[in-house]
Amino acid sequence: MRAATAVAVSRSRTAAAPPRIVCEGVRHAYRSASGQETLALADVSLSFADGAFVCLLGPSGCGKTTLLNMIAGFLQPGAGTVAVDGRPVEGPSPDRGVVFQDYSLFPWLTVRGNVQFGLRMAGVPPRERRRVADDCLDRVGLAAAGGRYPFELSGGMKQRVAIARALAPGPRVLLMDEPFAALDALTRTSLQNDLLELHRRDAKTVVFVTHNIAEAIYLADRVVVMSPHPGRVIEDITVDIPRPRRRTAAAFNELYERLAAAIGVNALE
Amino acid sequence: MIRRLDPSALQGLAGALLFFAGWEALSRSGLVNAVMLPAPSTVVRSAWALLQVGELQSHLWASLGRALHGFAWGAGLGVLLGVAMARLPRLNGFTYPLVQMFRAIPALAFVPLAVFWFGIGETSKVFLIAWGVFFPTWVNTFIGVRDTSPLLARAGASLGARGWRMLAFVVLPGALPFIIAGLRISLSVALMILVAAELTGALFGVGYLIQMSQLVFRVDQMFVGLLVLGIMGFGTDLLFNHLIGRLLPWYGAERRQQQAARRSTP
Repeated sequence: MRAATAVAVSRSRTAAAPPRIVCEGVRHAYRSASGQETLALADVSLSFADGAFVCLLGPSGCGKTTLLNMIAGFLQPGAGTVAVDGRPVEGPSPDRGVVFQDYSLFPWLTVRGNVQFGLRMAGVPPRERRRVADDCLDRVGLAAAGGRYPFELSGGMKQRVAIARALAPGPRVLLMDEPFAALDALTRTSLQNDLLELHRRDAKTVVFVTHNIAEAIYLADRVVVMSPHPGRVIEDITVDIPRPRRRTAAAFNELYERLAAAIGVNALE
Repeated sequence: MIRRLDPSALQGLAGALLFFAGWEALSRSGLVNAVMLPAPSTVVRSAWALLQVGELQSHLWASLGRALHGFAWGAGLGVLLGVAMARLPRLNGFTYPLVQMFRAIPALAFVPLAVFWFGIGETSKVFLIAWGVFFPTWVNTFIGVRDTSPLLARAGASLGARGWRMLAFVVLPGALPFIIAGLRISLSVALMILVAAELTGALFGVGYLIQMSQLVFRVDQMFVGLLVLGIMGFGTDLLFNHLIGRLLPWYGAERRQQQAARRSTP
């Protein structure tokens, strides 16, 4: 029955515009050193509409990061297909920007150098590169930090730069793997608000992996709840609480209870 | 440096002064033969005399030139082969055991062979230094390139880096700390082999100065040679670190942060 709701949701969106990302019958198995096979993903089918902000929510081992890595092109599905804009994903590409959980800035480049990296790979001339990079830095509130090195930045600033770096080549999709998990609560809230503002302005399709229920409700238009052993989708919920969302609102708490029950809160840290 | 004379530096200075004062006193006391163990003041006077006739400079430049020449060859080839082997599994399969086998032979054992092959001229010395420098550079480059951070490689790939661009803009800069560590070891190896190579015969060089001084029984000049070698090793290391700090500002800072993190975690 739950699977049926998922299909219904994606269909209603398909009617308006073709979905940006389509995963069909995706399966992935890891083999441990002892030869034992673990199903990280068992037959997952999802599609994400253009401009949607989708959170993949679930405890560790539910396959949410595996799915994200497949959309990014870091992993190939064992069975099934992942397609972006109708084309099967064959590898990483700058039209799918990725923000990682661990700090992934190049330590040998300045902040500006990091943000310019994708443009440099694309052969954009230096002057244009710098203009775009400074614009992206401005959008994440770090216009003045271009000349600094990553080791001079706080954790929150590093993730802001990582977002700017992923945005600079102009991707249509932004993939985020628990990007704020390592940050303190205040910094995290500030980054969440800035991310929502970025999304409101240029409406990129965002796939955001998290194990934090409140974060998912606060950010997403749609929350896909996943469960481990084997990794699969157990709930697919459209969040229509009006923005800005308040964590103390009744609708927020109601949804929180529902998602917590679906996951089984004990499974969370 | 004089600006920040912390207690540990003062202690070190005091220790050195005490050592040389004791040595001076010992040589002058008559307890030992002052010819066999010349006082520091005598050594300095001999060094000054050698400097004034320009002999010491010739030895120094000859040695430095050789060391740099051999270092450039050994380090260049070491980095090249290290990168190639870490990136090309088939080449690695073919050559890895071979390189490890050669690495196991102490470079100094090649001295007689090198003289036999290349004579006692410059070629044999440059060859020996290059040979010794090659291995530490190779092994560090190899490890640095092989152990590229998978996270940074993914970040690079998602930003459109692949093929030679991935190598040039992600893998090599990421391996740089390892390569630098290898080069620094290689620098001291170069000086060590330099002396051994010069002892086999040369017209100029600090090792030659020591050898010749022994033949003419000038122990004071032998000490001058040792002094110069010490200064050379210390100086090149200092210069190297200074250059790294200037060219790669992030490198030192990253390392300091890691060390601080290691200290703070028990």
